[in-house]
Amino acid sequence: MGENVFVLGTLVAPLAGAVVALLFAKNNHAQRLVGLISSIVAWIFSTLMLLQVHQTGVQTYELGNWSPPYGIVLVADSLGGLFAFMVTTIMIGGMLYTLHSRDRCMSYPAFAPLFLLMEVGLVGAMLTGDLFTLFVFMELMVLASVSLTAISDDQFGLEAALKYILISSMGTLFLLLGIAAMYAALGTLNMADMARILLTGERPFLAPASALMLLCAFLLKSAVFPFHFWQPDFHTTAPTPVSAMLSSIVVKVGVYGIIRLVTLLFIVEAPLLQRWLALLGIIGVIFGSLGALRTYNAKRMLAYSTFAQIGFILVGIGWGNTLAMIGAIVYAFNHAFIKSSLLMLMGVVASYTKVKTANFASIVGIGHKLPPLAGWLVLVGGLSLAGVPPLNGFISKLALIRGGVAQQDWVNLILLVSAGILTLIYMVRAWQNIFQRAPIPETTPTKDTGDSLLAPMLLISICLILGIVLAEPLLQLVTETVREIGDPNTYISAVNLSLEGP
Amino acid sequence: MIEFMFALAIGMLFGIGVFQLLRRDLIKAAIGFAILFSAINLFFVAVSAFDGEYAPFVSNVEAGRQTSDPLIQALILTAIVVSFGSFSLVLGLVNIISLRYGTVDSNAVNNLKH
Repeated sequence: MGENVFVLGTLVAPLAGAVVALLFAKNNHAQRLVGLISSIVAWIFSTLMLLQVHQTGVQTYELGNWSPPYGIVLVADSLGGLFAFMVTTIMIGGMLYTLHSRDRCMSYPAFAPLFLLMEVGLVGAMLTGDLFTLFVFMELMVLASVSLTAISDDQFGLEAALKYILISSMGTLFLLLGIAAMYAALGTLNMADMARILLTGERPFLAPASALMLLCAFLLKSAVFPFHFWQPDFHTTAPTPVSAMLSSIVVKVGVYGIIRLVTLLFIVEAPLLQRWLALLGIIGVIFGSLGALRTYNAKRMLAYSTFAQIGFILVGIGWGNTLAMIGAIVYAFNHAFIKSSLLMLMGVVASYTKVKTANFASIVGIGHKLPPLAGWLVLVGGLSLAGVPPLNGFISKLALIRGGVAQQDWVNLILLVSAGILTLIYMVRAWQNIFQRAPIPETTPTKDTGDSLLAPMLLISICLILGIVLAEPLLQLVTETVREIGDPNTYISAVNLSLEGP
Repeated sequence: MIEFMFALAIGMLFGIGVFQLLRRDLIKAAIGFAILFSAINLFFVAVSAFDGEYAPFVSNVEAGRQTSDPLIQALILTAIVVSFGSFSLVLGLVNIISLRYGTVDSNAVNNLKH
């Protein structure tokens, strides 16, 4: 037990890639190639891991052969495995984009290693079975993404990075405080062991307080309503591939953490937490959609849209019945692909302007400079984000709405559907502005070349495949996942705790 | 008594840290951030380092007595390393900001406010 190589490989492949990429500091192209190869290796490992999880159940790896609850254990259950698979798949898209990008910041020798370290942080946070290691991996991810944004070509990147690191450090502090409170209350850091003790009905004084602190830290990481104000700045100013990763998979770490909290650790407190999650989610949906509607920059519009889409996911978790949980996880999975491809497409559009900006004032009518394929890709991505059949956004919205109907929460359902219509309005308007309107020559200084469309094309085609061919298998996979996380004993028994008694 | 002293110290450090973090001067804010991390580390010490009376692993423990918790030291060491990393990154960012904007007053660093 506990020696699954694929779980370890998913984590170690990008880490090894980062180290090897540092060795090629003089040769920038080789660095990016190393990054691409190691992210593909990580993807292969994660695919094999996901297959194994669904054939034989939860997979674990005990680091250094120290048995839990004393040692650190990597646990890939179906939820963590699915999220890690999502991260590694989208990371390939990100590395592919950097391969053909002409941004100045990507010629820094630290770019590819930091990008890979961000992947290590993400995958590690989703696969670890130890709460303190989760904190370390999340901090690694934050530091890597802050450094990447600080060196952005956008002149405001530095300011956004400082803003984010100060706010996110507050979140990290509360995470650490919550972990210390859990350790004081339960005397263990292993999540399975914590869940086992909490399942026996024991409620130490500090446990509910710790639940609230952990929840706030995760909400801050995924930019939910009261903690969202850093998000549009940070996601807009980051370099294109980094902002695509931030807006699609980095915000999902928080979602993953919240799902773990309500399904594994704090099942008794879950109804109370979920009522708050639904409320915060619906506020995010409304304000994110309205913010996206009236913003001045295409990338900023997508950042606000992320704020709204995370709201959709949280409402799903907040409803909390089986169908709604399926909806939330499918939504999280599909949104990552749609949003990363759309942000990359906006980066391609911005790369055709002289000053590399995505302000609507500068990119009106720029579409005739781009390959004709770009317009179709933006249209497909936008319609998918809005949830138009037969694209994958429709599948996720449908799954979520089924959950809402089962919960009979009609007010929130009407708000969600109307926010979906707002999504359609702002995406189609952006597409028309860029590809349909005539250019204004004096305000639009353009170039004839720009970034390659290869990476967004790959991700959009995955969206199409997920919407048309793989929709049914994905729903089945997630249904199985929800059945598994519905019973915390599966997770607890899989970790194979070697000691009884608290 | 020692628990009360610890609670007082953690509370004071937390208060000072939050106050400093909210200052307009970015360097003071960065230092406030370091103080906040020390408050958390002290909280880690307070929750379990005083449970036992002997050093773990090396002492011969009499029956009915406890050794102190060795895990907490590993945790605090890791937390110190992580906080040191983020603290130096914050200071590095503040340094570049001071070069680029000519000031560390957070009210002057507001180009993102449209």
